[in-house]
Amino acid sequence: MTPFLVGTITVVAVAVILLGLMSTVARRRIGLVHLVAAGLLEGLLLLQAALATAAMVGGDLPEDTPTFVSYLAGVVLVPVAGVLWARTERTRWAGTVLAVAGAVVGVMVWRLLQLWEATSA
Amino acid sequence: MREEHTLGAPAEHGSTGAGTSGPGRVLVAVYGTFALAAGARAAVQISTRFGEAPVAYLLSAFAAAVYIVATVALARGSRGRRTALTAITVELVGVLVIGTLSLVDRAAFPDETVWSVYGQGYLFVPLVLPVLGLAFLRRRGQAPAQKSPPPKSPPPKSP
Repeated sequence: MTPFLVGTITVVAVAVILLGLMSTVARRRIGLVHLVAAGLLEGLLLLQAALATAAMVGGDLPEDTPTFVSYLAGVVLVPVAGVLWARTERTRWAGTVLAVAGAVVGVMVWRLLQLWEATSA
Repeated sequence: MREEHTLGAPAEHGSTGAGTSGPGRVLVAVYGTFALAAGARAAVQISTRFGEAPVAYLLSAFAAAVYIVATVALARGSRGRRTALTAITVELVGVLVIGTLSLVDRAAFPDETVWSVYGQGYLFVPLVLPVLGLAFLRRRGQAPAQKSPPPKSPPPKSP
């Protein structure tokens, strides 16, 4: 849970948003580029989840642990759900669906960082 | 062909009839997010500190239920139209009433709900979402039925 990792995730999430919106504008369905970007985003989120879990096991607990854990687990599911929901869409709106997922991840990681920094220390 | 593989195949036009396709799918994605977010928030609030603010937490749970119903109804497409219309109307009324009450009487809302201060904690998306939802339902209702059968009128009752 470092600002650096959250920043990196944000950059990738913004890339997912832009790629998604571009395919909508270009009247295309989503392709390999979108899957790679979403995959990278998912990888970073899993890394974040692993790091945060390790820190919590080490006794470094945020103040509102239940909320933190539900955000941590929930955010990992978002790109997966977005890709599944977008891949089965045959119109140009597939990209926008993926963009929504990217935006949700972008917001959720910053909320996570906020929750993390409010430690009970 | 390579370009199609990498960037995505050209999109198809219109909706495919059954279920949801097109802009409705985006709406379902956003509603699904809120159903999850509100539901998880209510679950955490009620299970960890219900006694602190029972009214606010029950409202959280109610909001979550409204979002869940709206998500499912929107995902069902034309079959869920009336349910979606009702759920989204309740949502709009809810966000306006709770938003106003939370400003007028802060003591009654010691903890945030999704609809507090018109959804400020969620970048005001809860305020915009029902408006978009109603506009979408209205547009889809007016559009000439593409592939879906015309609404069935009840069979005439024989005397």
